[in-house]
Amino acid sequence: MRETAMEVDREDGRSQNQLRPLACSRNILHRAHGSASWSQGDTKVLAAVYGPKAGTKKNENPEKACIEVIWKPKTGQIGKPEKEYEMILKRTLESVCILTVNPNTTTSIIVQVVNDDGALLPSAINAACMALVDAGIPMKHLAVAICCCVAKSGYVILDPTKLEEQKMKAFAYLVFPNSVHSVLPEGSLRVEGEPIENGIITSVTHGIMSVDDYFYCLERGRAASVKLSDFLRRNLQQQSTDSSKAG
Amino acid sequence: MEGRLANSWRLTVNDKNFIKTALLSEIRIDGRKPFEFRKISIKFGREDGSSEVQLGQTRVMGMVTAQLVQPYRDRPKEGILSIFTEFSPMADPSFEPGRPGELAVELGRIVDRGLRESRAVDTESLCILAGKFVWAIRIDLHILDNGGNLVDAANIAALAALLTFRRPECSLGGEDGQEVIVHPPEIREPLPLTVHHLPIAISFGFFSNESILVIDPTHNEEAVMGGRMTTTVNANGDICAIQKSGGEGVPRRVIMQCLQLATSKAASITKQIKDAVEVFNTERALRKIKRHPTSTGDDVREKQN
Repeated sequence: MRETAMEVDREDGRSQNQLRPLACSRNILHRAHGSASWSQGDTKVLAAVYGPKAGTKKNENPEKACIEVIWKPKTGQIGKPEKEYEMILKRTLESVCILTVNPNTTTSIIVQVVNDDGALLPSAINAACMALVDAGIPMKHLAVAICCCVAKSGYVILDPTKLEEQKMKAFAYLVFPNSVHSVLPEGSLRVEGEPIENGIITSVTHGIMSVDDYFYCLERGRAASVKLSDFLRRNLQQQSTDSSKAG
Repeated sequence: MEGRLANSWRLTVNDKNFIKTALLSEIRIDGRKPFEFRKISIKFGREDGSSEVQLGQTRVMGMVTAQLVQPYRDRPKEGILSIFTEFSPMADPSFEPGRPGELAVELGRIVDRGLRESRAVDTESLCILAGKFVWAIRIDLHILDNGGNLVDAANIAALAALLTFRRPECSLGGEDGQEVIVHPPEIREPLPLTVHHLPIAISFGFFSNESILVIDPTHNEEAVMGGRMTTTVNANGDICAIQKSGGEGVPRRVIMQCLQLATSKAASITKQIKDAVEVFNTERALRKIKRHPTSTGDDVREKQN
């Protein structure tokens, strides 16, 4: 039933599981403590990090570090969709950062949408993670985000453009921990017998999809997250050999 | 998180004295001469009407969008031009999200005065149906990095975005000719805006000792300077706007010196903007040519079905 080897006609000629060209650069802003720009095809997002700053907001737990997310759309007023993105990003990043290292501090992450051509929230999550690394905020692991779409006929495509997102029956934004290359013995990195990268940090779906479709999306998403993790690792290793930021 | 003292950036007394003393010998802390502008780089995004300008360490993004609206009652034959400035918290730790502060409002007003009141953008050509439908052009300026002199960078970003923006072509139709049909860009090529001249904003900083004058202050110099003045001039030598709000008083000859300097800088900046727009336009034309082979391919497949 699942046409895994089906040739799908995507407008830009990609195959089902092919991601758009990725580009990432860190340390692009001078005032921000950490900054990154992430682009997947034509979708481009800029993220900046300031922190840790003293004090937490009124309703936050002062025994832990707090994360504040500000989402800036390309044009127009800030409305409910932007607030939703802020909330999803905040919760995702709270589970990725080590919050007990700097209690009673706030780290602000500002996300600016430069261009939206599909898979906006996953790009923002990836950009925010890279900016946090650039700022040196302590994290357990990286969050790798991907978007999977389910079409009416049941096939799943990865990393849709805006037009593809609108035409599809349903799509899901999935965030996984990054794949681990470790010198430690295998056993210590497993959670309940499964390797850590099989876990899901965040999943947001739009539209109706069957349970089977959803699990298929998870499979495809997990496979793609391994490729994304490799890209992130290469990018971070390359730039860490450059001269560090002064002042 | 109200602006707590611990989080706001303050320049130390030593830094301030160093900047002032260096200026006495005509040395600026980034190695420039007093009347030297920082390097300007103008880049464009994929779509029409989006620009990113970098002036030294200052970074501003401009976005132009258009919408069909009803015109103002007292100006039924003119389009509407509005400027929205966003001092994004990513630019400076002291910028708070939410309502624009007085700096943001002042910046928006200076750019607005330069574009609208000098009639740089032709608003009459934006009218489709007098009294009913006109184009409202909205310019969003996002300040991404505050390295000083936000006004000049924002002004250049707004101009670059306006020059590369294309509005859809529309025609009157319907039974009584009162309906407006907006043609999508694939059917009819969108049109550029009519921009008569380019008003360039040039900012000066005044320092109290020996009435020293610098052009294009960085944010360190802005924290030290006693007064500022922004002049908006165009390459023809017309003064579009002058803004000097408070700060220390300067003699008349200094103002005249500023205006002369501004006119000479405006010519070179205008040329830079126009060159960058030319490059973008040729790239855009090339992209259009490349699109045709794939689009004719799709048509063939549809016909076979």
